[in-house]
Amino acid sequence: MSSEVTTSAEAALSLRGVSRRYRFLEPGQELKTTLLHPLRAWRRRKGKPFSAVRGVTLDIFPGEFFAIVGANGSGKSTLLRLMAGLSRPSSGTVVARGRISTLLELGSGFHPQVSGRENAILNGLLMGRTRAEMEAQLPRIIEFAGLQQFIDQPMRTYSSGMYVRLGFAIAAFLEPEILLVDEVLAVGDAVFQERCYEHIEGLRDRGVTVVMVSHDLAAVQRFATRAALMERGRIVMVGEPADVLDEHLGRLAKSSPEIMRALDEAMEEQREAIEDLIGRSPEARARFERALERNPEFLRKMEEQQRAQAEAGERHE
Amino acid sequence: MAVIPTHRSARNGFELLSALTSRDLRLRYQGSIFGWAWSLIRPLALGAVLSFALGTVLQTGITASFLLTGLFPWFWFQGSIQGATTTFVGNGGLLKKVRFPRAVLPLSIVLGSTLQFALALPVLAAFLILDGYDPEPMWLVGVPLLFIVQLLLTCGVALFISTATVFFRDLEHITEVLLTLLFYSTPIIYSADHLPERYEWVIRINPLAPVMEGWRAVLLEGELPGASFGIAVALTGVAVALGWWTFRRLEDAFADVV
Repeated sequence: MSSEVTTSAEAALSLRGVSRRYRFLEPGQELKTTLLHPLRAWRRRKGKPFSAVRGVTLDIFPGEFFAIVGANGSGKSTLLRLMAGLSRPSSGTVVARGRISTLLELGSGFHPQVSGRENAILNGLLMGRTRAEMEAQLPRIIEFAGLQQFIDQPMRTYSSGMYVRLGFAIAAFLEPEILLVDEVLAVGDAVFQERCYEHIEGLRDRGVTVVMVSHDLAAVQRFATRAALMERGRIVMVGEPADVLDEHLGRLAKSSPEIMRALDEAMEEQREAIEDLIGRSPEARARFERALERNPEFLRKMEEQQRAQAEAGERHE
Repeated sequence: MAVIPTHRSARNGFELLSALTSRDLRLRYQGSIFGWAWSLIRPLALGAVLSFALGTVLQTGITASFLLTGLFPWFWFQGSIQGATTTFVGNGGLLKKVRFPRAVLPLSIVLGSTLQFALALPVLAAFLILDGYDPEPMWLVGVPLLFIVQLLLTCGVALFISTATVFFRDLEHITEVLLTLLFYSTPIIYSADHLPERYEWVIRINPLAPVMEGWRAVLLEGELPGASFGIAVALTGVAVALGWWTFRRLEDAFADVV
């Protein structure tokens, strides 16, 4: 099978023409309809196809911190799940070389009724480690998560911050060769986020490959060694994080009706990140302003929005 | 196509299975006063009621020992299947976010139920001895034999049902009905000889029937199970093959469906 495509032998993750299609479920798939209206059920059996990821070809090399950015629904998380082997590509090949740790969602697999310690061990077992390995790592995991007093309490008593901290600590201390991280760190407080990124940097320096999906553009700018921009299931750009973010912001600001619609939704969420980025780096601010100048339509829309907000505020008073 | 290494050792598989099993068992009886004793109380209580109804009231000659030799293995089977049905559906979050050998989910349910049965066996033996049955040397051969066959049969069915339920949610409820149906179409509260000839096919196609008859032959008569047990062994092989094949074919789609 692999003879038809050549994957890079040095890459930690090799994707060749990877697509993932889903079918929209339509009403009328239940047993009742199947039995009572077999014809209708048969016609609806397939549903409308929808491609979440289209023809992605990508090599990620050992020791890279690779960030994937893009608007909501552009296929970033699906791509990450394909890399993790949690979902099979509809076509194309994914080849991973190395032990994978995933941090895809808060406390996946944690049982609220049992203690943090037991959950940590079970989580490690699920990810393929032995009990002895987990018990050896546990003190460091507990220390990093800052859960010394709470580790033997049932996890239903934990705050969401404690959940993320334990989840991250487990994934990070399992000595992965490839670490896949979805947008989860946003839940922890700033101090913990900082420690996470530091830890990830440490992993990267030891040659661990990190792939992260993020809306935290400031973090991408700071830590990523390479970045990709996704749009409607395709990778539209791969390169230096600064260039990719530039393109990302530029595209967000572009005045095509489709993007505008996506923008209205995405902007709300991105605003803080963008403002943060602009606040942090004068260079980014200049780029953003340049992008605005290039797109008077967007500028107008933004001013309009601000005016509307201000008016609403006045009326409120 | 996806080539993603898993790096699993047999040790990890075993530890994962036992960790899940012990967690589920502890959670099931957490905070209950009788705890583990519940796995004894339920078959004993049903046995008491039935032996009063069938033995004392209806005078059918069916004894408590007869009923309990059927009820204990039945509760083992029923508990396993009932629990396994929803195990993939109920662990959707896990299936979506972590890559692990998914078969451990239904198998840990079966294992938990099996442990309960294994601990109940000495109680059953004690009851039989008190009731006047002598311990037979055949028990040492027959019990492990039946234990293994029923365990494999249960694993096969559990894998099949838990997989199929992911794609066909009604199975959760259908299974409940089918288990009741199976309870009465298996010689548990009656003996196969009681069955009129025209209904004999019912137990001929039921792989559980020779197993139940087998438990009685071994525990009550001190004999090896009869020739029909060969059919049970063959059907067990079919169940294991079918369960495993179905699971392997469909497990990759779990994360997209649950």
